[in-house]
Amino acid sequence: MGRDLGELNREEYARYKEDTKKEGKGFFPFAMWHDTVMSLVVVGVITALAAIWYFDADGTESGILGPWYTEPAEPGTTDFIPRPDWFFYFLFYLLRIFEWPETVFIATVGIPTICLILLIGLPFYDRRRERRPLHRPVAMVAAILTIISMGVLTWKGATAKEALGSELVLLVPTWAEEQGFADDPQAVSGAELFAQSGCMNCHTYLGEGNGNLGAPDLSEVGRTNDAEYFVRYLTNPAAFGNNVMGSYSYLGQENLEALGAFLAASQGSSEDN
Amino acid sequence: MAAKSKRQQAIDLAVLTPLDWVDERTGAVRGTKWFLFRNVPRDISWMQTLGSAALTAFIVQALTGAILAMYYKPSSEIDPLTGKPIAYTSIEAITNELTLGWLVRGMHKWGASVFIILLFLHMGRVFLFGAYKYPRELTWITGVLILVMGMLMGFTGYLLPWDQTAYWATVVGINLNGTAPFAGPWLAQFLAGGAEIGSDTLPKWYALHMLLIPGALIALIFVHIYLVTRLGVSSPPWSSERAGRERAAAAAPSGARAGLVRGSGGD
Repeated sequence: MGRDLGELNREEYARYKEDTKKEGKGFFPFAMWHDTVMSLVVVGVITALAAIWYFDADGTESGILGPWYTEPAEPGTTDFIPRPDWFFYFLFYLLRIFEWPETVFIATVGIPTICLILLIGLPFYDRRRERRPLHRPVAMVAAILTIISMGVLTWKGATAKEALGSELVLLVPTWAEEQGFADDPQAVSGAELFAQSGCMNCHTYLGEGNGNLGAPDLSEVGRTNDAEYFVRYLTNPAAFGNNVMGSYSYLGQENLEALGAFLAASQGSSEDN
Repeated sequence: MAAKSKRQQAIDLAVLTPLDWVDERTGAVRGTKWFLFRNVPRDISWMQTLGSAALTAFIVQALTGAILAMYYKPSSEIDPLTGKPIAYTSIEAITNELTLGWLVRGMHKWGASVFIILLFLHMGRVFLFGAYKYPRELTWITGVLILVMGMLMGFTGYLLPWDQTAYWATVVGINLNGTAPFAGPWLAQFLAGGAEIGSDTLPKWYALHMLLIPGALIALIFVHIYLVTRLGVSSPPWSSERAGRERAAAAAPSGARAGLVRGSGGD
């Protein structure tokens, strides 16, 4: 046609301006009336949610919309399951897909950054004038795939199996048998500590645990290093280039040595070999 | 010049004169007229109320947040009377003792989720309508930034009750920031207010949550609404109305149509 996109865009917009001026309706009162009704619905929904939340719960006792508050923050506790607000579940679950530590930054920084750039740049790479959804198949398929993947990630994040120390500790005898450290009392007490100290909020072990932050599976970690190395690692993970995991030095030397013995004894399930 | 009635003169003096005085100096009256008395396409739909719905949710957050700020104490020190952290104690007091405190806190807590949901729905509507295209690119970008700021509000606000849920979610969140290349460890340390989450963390997050991020958010919302007003609301893409569409009749040369009717011309 010889006419460039910018020119066509400006023409169409000028037509829009003219038509709206001549044939449109007033924002006030017509559109504003719809906005007002919708706003009242929004305030109503928020108030209803607040009321259901409040009247169905009691203190730390949860109702259908959760408790008023949980117990006071206690940095020393180790059996609490970390869980973000629902709109971060997708990110939370992405972390389980990627392996720590080499690729975890893909989940925490890489993918969100790329998504944000794609989102901000949308008007600049989708430059066609066409606005009808059925005539924009690529955009519509991309949108549907985005909605599905966000939905699935959010759902998986919401229903991810939670590992409670009090339940996990029941598995210790099974672990001891599978790993063959049943007659090593130090390793057994290390296994109990491992189950109760929140390690399994991030790590998996013989198919149990959460894998938050994409932390590695520890079922066979004993093949890589000895007990003394694990004690040093737990005392200060940052010294080993691990800035995600916190220090466990507060457990005390005796407990750390028990954990070290347990990890060193974790040579992998005999069934796997 | 027609003589004005006494009544008209009184109205002029009481209402119009002060308004004119203000308008002459600020343009506020002209600005309000510009905002209110503009035309929108005849066939805009209910789907196009999602933006103002999100704005309403934000206003609810701002009002309830201001009330909460009057009673909330951002300190993780232990209150000697209750043996619990001061922040936690103040949240308990707001929920249990303050008149309608539960409602204010509940609306703020649930309003946050409603706000985020409405932002996503609004963005989905704009995408469906292709309304981010020329000339509304900057409206889209400010909208995306509003969404990012909204999620940051959620992230920083989640810690403030200083209960177990809040604390551990934030530990995870700060560790996530720590995995970023280069700036990550520095960012994590800044957010934690030290090597670990402690007494310096809470006031810092409180300041981010109620001063810095909302400031940016309010500024972005103003720019966004200014752009919407200036550029106009787009009609639905399947619109049967003319606004913004190619005019088939006007585009086709009149001779062609005449020819078609007579059955002699055509091309």
